[in-house]
Amino acid sequence: MKTFRIPRTALLAVLALAAALARPVPAVAAKSDDTLVIALQRGITSVDYLYTTKREYIILSLLTDDGLTEVDPDTLEVRPLAAKSWKRVDDKTIDVTIRDDVKFHDGSPLTADDVVYTYEWVLDPKSRANRSKQFREWLAKVEKTGPYTVRFHMKYPYPLALHAMGFSMPLRKKGTYDAIAKSGALPLGQTLNGIGPYRVVSVEPGRKTVIERFDGYYKESPKGRPAIKRMVFREIPDWGTQEAELMSGGVQWAYDVPYDIASSLGASGPVKFVNGPSLRVGFLVLDAAGLSGKDNPLTKLAVRRALNYAIDRQTIVKNIVRGDARVIDSACHPAQFGCAQDVMKYPYDPKKARELLKEAGYPNGFSFDLWAYREKDSAEAIAADLAKVGIRAKLRYVQLATLNEARKKHEIQSYFGSWESGSVPDTAAIADVHWSATTDRNMSGDPKVTEYMIGAQRISDPAQRKALYEKGLQRIAEQAYWVPLYTFSLNYLVSNDLEFHPPKDGLPRLYLAKWK
Amino acid sequence: MLSYALRRGVLAIAVAITVSLATFFLLNFATDPAQALAGEDATPEVVQQIREEYGFDKPLAVQYLRWLGGLVHGDFGQSYHWRSPVGALIASHAPVTIRLALMAIAITILVAIPLGAIAALRPNSFVDRLSLSVAVGAQAIPGFWLGLVLIILFAVKFPIFPVSGDSTWKHFVLPAIVLGAGSVPSVMRLTRSGLLEVLGSDYIRTARAKGFRGVRLLTRHAMRNAMLPVVNVLAVQLGHKLGGSVIVESVFALNGLGRLAWQSILGGDVPTVQMLVFVFAITFVVLTFLADLLGAWLDPRIRLG
Repeated sequence: MKTFRIPRTALLAVLALAAALARPVPAVAAKSDDTLVIALQRGITSVDYLYTTKREYIILSLLTDDGLTEVDPDTLEVRPLAAKSWKRVDDKTIDVTIRDDVKFHDGSPLTADDVVYTYEWVLDPKSRANRSKQFREWLAKVEKTGPYTVRFHMKYPYPLALHAMGFSMPLRKKGTYDAIAKSGALPLGQTLNGIGPYRVVSVEPGRKTVIERFDGYYKESPKGRPAIKRMVFREIPDWGTQEAELMSGGVQWAYDVPYDIASSLGASGPVKFVNGPSLRVGFLVLDAAGLSGKDNPLTKLAVRRALNYAIDRQTIVKNIVRGDARVIDSACHPAQFGCAQDVMKYPYDPKKARELLKEAGYPNGFSFDLWAYREKDSAEAIAADLAKVGIRAKLRYVQLATLNEARKKHEIQSYFGSWESGSVPDTAAIADVHWSATTDRNMSGDPKVTEYMIGAQRISDPAQRKALYEKGLQRIAEQAYWVPLYTFSLNYLVSNDLEFHPPKDGLPRLYLAKWK
Repeated sequence: MLSYALRRGVLAIAVAITVSLATFFLLNFATDPAQALAGEDATPEVVQQIREEYGFDKPLAVQYLRWLGGLVHGDFGQSYHWRSPVGALIASHAPVTIRLALMAIAITILVAIPLGAIAALRPNSFVDRLSLSVAVGAQAIPGFWLGLVLIILFAVKFPIFPVSGDSTWKHFVLPAIVLGAGSVPSVMRLTRSGLLEVLGSDYIRTARAKGFRGVRLLTRHAMRNAMLPVVNVLAVQLGHKLGGSVIVESVFALNGLGRLAWQSILGGDVPTVQMLVFVFAITFVVLTFLADLLGAWLDPRIRLG
């Protein structure tokens, strides 16, 4: 049989291709060209935070937008940002003075007209802005009182008003939404005329968003002048690929990385593993009211307390959650205003749990459904701890939507919940959603808890609010309506060239990052 | 021929509508689009507002018929997640997937057909066994794993190719290898078995008697007949690559239709998922139809109709 010969031209073509490929791929960006590349699992589809809700968008919005106020990353206190100052006229009225040196990215100055326009636009249901309903809940109107002064009229004394004037309400130039006001469409969010320290250069949804330092940013801003010139947000959905990009220098910052990946890569590669707190807390909600059936054992106080004693939260934190996570005893994050820590505590005590079960008439334990939609490892560890005292928790791990639906229909005896509070360091941000009389998340059936926890967000005096939260949180703990579990931690992978400090509230402020 | 094409066209639309119906109801049962759009930590007010804004509070049948009505009028709907027309969205993502699929199918052809031919020319030899081992190995390796190994080798250790992205042709080489590798075994084995059968036929004996040998015999006489089943399989494989590159596009962060489908599923973007499924189904039917036409051209004995 004849032997095969490779044609000479084909051989030359292959050699030419090999030579072309042999040239190493240059690093995409880094310290040398003052460009920070950020990897996101979920990409940016719109740069207008008035029309988005997810976390990645807050991180971007903190760079491209400013609100009237912001939370000081060190003290977690609210401070003026685009506002120069504010004055509480009465319980329901706040006067805000705006800085006169703030410019939009198109060079035009920020005035009271722009502030009033932004708030009026969001308050108008036709705007379809994501937080329109939320703002309408407490804010009656905003009026211009001078070229750089505005007055906020609230429907009731809302203690989070100054927080809400922060990143939740990025300021827009008057007339920004005129076109969509006519068409009724949603803005595409591919361009932005904001007032933040960075301006949007380009948006390629699904690929990348490029922002560049805004030279006209006001010098007196508490955010300061950013050190890094350009940032690129890249969408890289796969963790393995993010790892490879970090190792090859194509990416310098990754966020919310799974602990195992972050710790192993941080220990070996050209990136460091940075761990920081998050305002997210995890907890079990127990159907104390018997919404899922009056024969539910969880309606008995002794049983609920037994559950609290039976779970070894410290071990779960140490071995499963890890990082900066901490065990909690109150139904809130310890860093939040009003999150009283002096409440009834339930240290791990399986013996006491068994005694309480016996006292409640369940000497041989009982079975119940524990629903969960995330943190499967923790939920399994909890089920294993409960099994040790005779409580057989049947784990129902489902999609969030399924859990929500089942809870709405009162089919849930208990669920593993978690809440991040929108990074607002105030107990109101978790209490409102979980303890109002109308929410299906409130399975306590206890009007006293609602009175304290929701009452505290209808007054503005900090001391009075604290006192109410103390009462509410103590009652939740004493009645064991929840099993408070732990705070979460956030894992970052950061290039060795980059100086980045994890924020206390879990909201990365990348304008503070700088090259070493 | 015309009636065959018409039958195929009706079948394509029937398949696409059935699949879109199943997709619509499965997506709505499996997830709450309003919650998916708002994100896990959105307050109930925000979720409710989105539900009302997008009409998710309407009965499912009403929502589906509204979508179908739009489709009949040439309106592919508006993406909830991307806030742009679904048609434009698909058009902007398609070039990446088409480029990737064509490169992958080219790699499959360049590797599988020569390997299959060599194996057929020397059946049961060492080369045949080696080709078979390569084929079985390629079939057994999961795409995401092969992708990551190639990234570590050729993008991190030896930085010849970029890790991820889709801005240059170099970005497509590693993903095309991964996607192409999956089809090599079936195409190679079909080439081998087809050639073995053809090489044993009378007309090849006649050709040999006339002095044809080796490559000439293979390309001029044997290959054309042996390629009939291969062409059909390649058409199906191309369909798979155009519609099934979700994992490869995610691993290599390619902004194509596969990733668009994945993002849309995660984001509860029902109109985009429905339209993508519709497009994928039509693509399959069209490719199979084209394969039939090509088969008829390759083998004049075949007549469509």
